[in-house]
Amino acid sequence: MVSLDFDLVSYAVDLAGQNHCEYSEARIQRTTDVTCFTRNGESEPAAISDAEGIGVRVISDGALAFGATNIVSKESVKSLVDRLVRNAKLAAEFTREKIHFSDEESHREKWEVQEKKKLEDVSVQSLISFLKELDSLLSPPISGITFPNRNLIIWTNIEEKYYENSDGSKLESRVPRVEYLGILTAFYEGRPKTISIPPGYSGLGGTGGWEVIEKFNLNEELPRQLMEITNGIKASKAPPKDETLDIILGPNVAGLTSHESCGHPGEADRILGREGAQAGESFLKPDKLGMQIGSEEAYVSDDPTIPNSMGYYLYDDEGVKARKRKLISGGRFTEFLQNRASASFFHVKSNGSSRAMQFDREPIIRMGNTFIEPGDWKFDEMLKETKKGVYIKNFMEWNIDDKRLNQRYVGLESYLIENGELKDAIKDPVLEITTPKYWGSIDARADDLQYTCGTCGKGDPMQGAPVFFGAPHIRLRNVRVGAR
Amino acid sequence: MMSQQIKQEEVAQFALDEAKRLGCNDVSVLCAKSNDSQVRFANNDITLVNNVRNITLEVYLSKGKKRIVGSSFNPTEDGIKRFLGNLVRSCEALPVSEDYVPLPVGPFRYKSHANFDPNVEDAPLVELVRQAIDEAGRAGALRASGSLNTEVTDLFMITSASAQGADKQTQILLNIRAFADDNSSGQGLSCASYVNEFHPDRAGRKAGEYAKKSLGSKLVNEGKYDIVFSPTVVSNILPVASSASAFAIESGNSFLVDKLGNKVAVDKLGVEDQGVYDRGLGGRVFDDEGMPTGTNEIVLHGSFLTMLHNSSTAKKFGKEKSTGNAGIIFPRPATIVFNEGDVSLDEMIRETGDGLFVTNNWYTRFQNMQSGDYSTVPRDAAFRIEDGELGQPVAGFRLSDSIPRQLLNIEMISNEREWIKWWEVSTPTLAPYMMIKDVGVTRAVGS
Repeated sequence: MVSLDFDLVSYAVDLAGQNHCEYSEARIQRTTDVTCFTRNGESEPAAISDAEGIGVRVISDGALAFGATNIVSKESVKSLVDRLVRNAKLAAEFTREKIHFSDEESHREKWEVQEKKKLEDVSVQSLISFLKELDSLLSPPISGITFPNRNLIIWTNIEEKYYENSDGSKLESRVPRVEYLGILTAFYEGRPKTISIPPGYSGLGGTGGWEVIEKFNLNEELPRQLMEITNGIKASKAPPKDETLDIILGPNVAGLTSHESCGHPGEADRILGREGAQAGESFLKPDKLGMQIGSEEAYVSDDPTIPNSMGYYLYDDEGVKARKRKLISGGRFTEFLQNRASASFFHVKSNGSSRAMQFDREPIIRMGNTFIEPGDWKFDEMLKETKKGVYIKNFMEWNIDDKRLNQRYVGLESYLIENGELKDAIKDPVLEITTPKYWGSIDARADDLQYTCGTCGKGDPMQGAPVFFGAPHIRLRNVRVGAR
Repeated sequence: MMSQQIKQEEVAQFALDEAKRLGCNDVSVLCAKSNDSQVRFANNDITLVNNVRNITLEVYLSKGKKRIVGSSFNPTEDGIKRFLGNLVRSCEALPVSEDYVPLPVGPFRYKSHANFDPNVEDAPLVELVRQAIDEAGRAGALRASGSLNTEVTDLFMITSASAQGADKQTQILLNIRAFADDNSSGQGLSCASYVNEFHPDRAGRKAGEYAKKSLGSKLVNEGKYDIVFSPTVVSNILPVASSASAFAIESGNSFLVDKLGNKVAVDKLGVEDQGVYDRGLGGRVFDDEGMPTGTNEIVLHGSFLTMLHNSSTAKKFGKEKSTGNAGIIFPRPATIVFNEGDVSLDEMIRETGDGLFVTNNWYTRFQNMQSGDYSTVPRDAAFRIEDGELGQPVAGFRLSDSIPRQLLNIEMISNEREWIKWWEVSTPTLAPYMMIKDVGVTRAVGS
């Protein structure tokens, strides 16, 4: 592998300085992706992508400009920086609120995620063999259910970066990632049903080498999950209609809620309106830090520093050291996700939330690994103490409005709860609830925190960020269940 | 090839020759030169000026009926050699593909080019953004956010089967969202390939007017409603063209599985894929296998007539040849065109009598891709239709329905259509307003 041209990065930052920019940063980045997938056990063409280039961002006269090129030459970078400075000065004439970055400590660091079994040594042949073996385990019918469509994917990604900014930060990093996903169609009594394993169109994986996938023991885990989901596939009993009762959510569903209705509305750029026409704004306003949004049992955090997590990083793409952020504590919003521009507005320090997914994308505020903090309940205790309710173990359909107030999750494998016991499986129960009602209804958190992988979409142009969603089982009291 | 004056023809030819030297039987190379500019704005201020210039390679290889695709951002000779060396080594390790089909044999004659306007590259983006923001303000908005994008794409394609062609296209796209207060917003789009067909002032005015009209919105009750959908929503919630991809159908992830030749919509609905719609938005004159693109009637008079194919899926489904929609792996539409109807928007609202008007939506997700059960969230302006007129603005609801049911319940199609491309609609789409009967509406509980 050819090494990245660090000198070009320094050159870009120096050039911006010579052009009297208030701030500049440059990032040379190589992203190597290998995607293999099988349909019904047959391999489709593998796809290999090798993206490398340099992205530069400057603040000049209080205006922000970003640009990138994959022509990594001095000539090209000079042309790029000149263009950015011109663009920023042009924009500055029409910018009333000048953009400032918070003052932050500079860092010089080299960090990387270790691989016991290097992903670049895993051949496409072995990736496809791996998928074929999984497919053979997922293809047999289970008690009258057939699986005529099986689409399995394995994705590896190696992200190498060198970053400098005009504050003196110099950061070199290497992050390998690997993820498995699978979407199937199940047929039962002539009816098709889309399922994914894991459910919710989510994946299993993380940062590190092939050992990350091995530890999931997918040969046993996926058939086990599929077997459980069959209860949801066969279910024909309608959920209680518009009844108010208790709901226990499995980690698969609850994890996503932490991302959608806490992480996203807590992104400071959305709160300030910067994503207004695309990913949307937030029901939170700048003065709502400390606002009581939920019950005293509501605790949500985001932590990019969890080893081997999918959203792992140690420094963000503005050179700020990453740390855990406690977003909701005891039902109060206690911290927003900040980059250096929003931190300057809020008169705080950035908490290292700025991420760029490719060399040619601007860094924006993103989550890392968002999760509901575990409590001290056991799932069995939670169940036992629920007289009448619904257990939504996992889901498929979901969405939320662009202010993050009105959300919906439709169960895949779900059951009635009566007198502390799981009863009949039910079909497609719908939890459609406002964000304050949701966080305000939590009365119990189990100790069984689990994570799944997802790709978070945000930005314009769109950037898909690899993240973890996490949660233990949680219980909501006195909420409505609907039906599709 | 190290200078900025990289010639795509030379890069593509070099890659083709190198792949053949490495023993590949089939090779297609697409070399794309792109210059994408953007001005983002929020709260009436410019928040970012963005410019990305790349030269990229997309390569498809087969060797001994083993197939692989790759993309590279390194167009230097050394970079191409390394990339192809890795790609060929990986290809050799793959199993033989059951779906292998030789590339279509050229040469082909292509249209001269897709929709291209040399003025797009130098369009005064900051000034155009100001026009849009100012118009939104004049129409009643307090603030506006959005982005103005220009895309200039120059493609050169060459295959080992004697197909060769060049293609240029431009797009200039504005998405403006105006706010009359934090809960009242409207969207305006202007999407064109030609600067003289681009109207930021109109988009800004529309966004501002909708924002102002949606002040004081109220909740709606759950139930079934006759709903008039804007072209923006139609483009998103009726994914007929993408669902007609043979890949989606074969994967089971389409509501059109086993529906070819069947009635899937009301008689009045027609949906086409067009390679290049003259004076339309974007488009391609050839696909990724070098086949000329053309017009495919996906749905005609309500019947599902044409699946979209590349060479490989065409063979699988017993067709003689591709429909010119490769994607090596995923056949895909180039430009989606819904047919026009016979009523104006005003007439549609009047004849609806009692219902809803939804101008925008986002976050469409499926519970079941094969049955087409889905939900989506309206955003920006929405209104009750009362006695044939737009009435009370409404908000805070969700559409929960099924695509096959909706297609069979289209009651009216407008005689005016708009080009749509934005965050939630990635393929350029020419869409009308539509009124669909008995659409499911739900809403969240809680304050």
